[in-house]
Amino acid sequence: MPKHVRLMVLWAFAVGLPAAAADVPAARLVVKPLLCVTDRDTPACSMTFEIRWKSEVAADYCLNDSAQPAPLRCWPGATTGTHSQPREVNEAFYYWLGIPGGAQRAAEVKIDVLRLDSADRRRERRMRHVWDVL
Amino acid sequence: MLFSIMRAHQNLLKIAALWSLAAMACGQAAGTGPAPGTAEKSWRLGAAFGYGQRTNPLIQSDDIPVLVDLDIAWFGKRWFFDNGDLGFTMHEGARSTTSLVARVNSDRVFFAKTNTRYVQLGYAANGVPPAQLINPAPVEPPDRDYAIELGVESLIDGDWGAATLRAFHDVSGTHRGYELAAYYSRRFTTGRFSFEPTVGASYKSDRLNDYYWGVHPDEASIALPEYHAGAGLNFEGGLVANYYFSRNLRFAMSVNYERLSDEIVGSPLTEENHVLAYFSGLAWTF
Repeated sequence: MPKHVRLMVLWAFAVGLPAAAADVPAARLVVKPLLCVTDRDTPACSMTFEIRWKSEVAADYCLNDSAQPAPLRCWPGATTGTHSQPREVNEAFYYWLGIPGGAQRAAEVKIDVLRLDSADRRRERRMRHVWDVL
Repeated sequence: MLFSIMRAHQNLLKIAALWSLAAMACGQAAGTGPAPGTAEKSWRLGAAFGYGQRTNPLIQSDDIPVLVDLDIAWFGKRWFFDNGDLGFTMHEGARSTTSLVARVNSDRVFFAKTNTRYVQLGYAANGVPPAQLINPAPVEPPDRDYAIELGVESLIDGDWGAATLRAFHDVSGTHRGYELAAYYSRRFTTGRFSFEPTVGASYKSDRLNDYYWGVHPDEASIALPEYHAGAGLNFEGGLVANYYFSRNLRFAMSVNYERLSDEIVGSPLTEENHVLAYFSGLAWTF
């Protein structure tokens, strides 16, 4: 094998190996509920999230909340897990599954926040056009 | 007393101008609040698909079906466009927003879907059946034009709910009248469900009512006698409810009942004393 080809192969391995080592087995994450609706009278939602995950590969997995630095819960050598978490929500965030200490996400689910009240009260004008009945 | 003041509609534009100046002065004194429309997207686009209708109080006219409800709005720091209304915000404060608004009058829409009907007229006297029949006479609701109205609108809110105050005057020379309106609403939200009842009243001047709902001398006939509509007060109540499936998709339902003033109901052009509007369907906000 020519020298320059060998160098290219070695370079490709050198670049690819760290990424491969950090790969997290794919997993499926299911969270309910997914939406928090806030308003002037109800600026936050008190919700209990039911979280389930499943993977085809047994590994160490941790469930994370993007708003918190530490994992919520970890499962050593597992392929499935469930977790229930009561939480106050007033901003969108992610639940995500990864390996302990890792930042790579095997799966993530966004918890959305819909704010009905607006800082611009013109957006809540009441119309009375024939086609506008909402 | 109140009505006699309101009848001085020639002074309405002056009142509106004073209102505007007061609002601007108030805004300067308060140092104004945060600039409107800066924290959210300027555009608001949405569409609802479902079924609904607005009844039409005009004789020989069809109710107005509503199968699609479009929402097209843009909000800048001062200027805004909201589904046909063009506005300029003069004052934005912690408790109220006051804008100059140009709009198209809503009464005209009832004159868009009319039919000609032929009626056979007879003369009866002393309870005797008609002795003489005349040829069928066409009865056709008269045409009415759109009016461009300019006015002042104040939006006020607090823990008690939200209020809207409006004063509009025709600037297109169509009806030369004015309308004053006040609405109160409050939204309740629980989980993914929200509902918002509204009550309100609108005072329409004699010129406005007479232009749209009067039978003018050149339109009068045996079947459609001349009628002059005076000023009057319309009352209305409504409810809008939404169930949110996601940030973008919701199931929406609304119903609104407006009781027309006696001056409108007394017109030969009206056959119902109210306007009922309802709609339910899926709404998507982009």
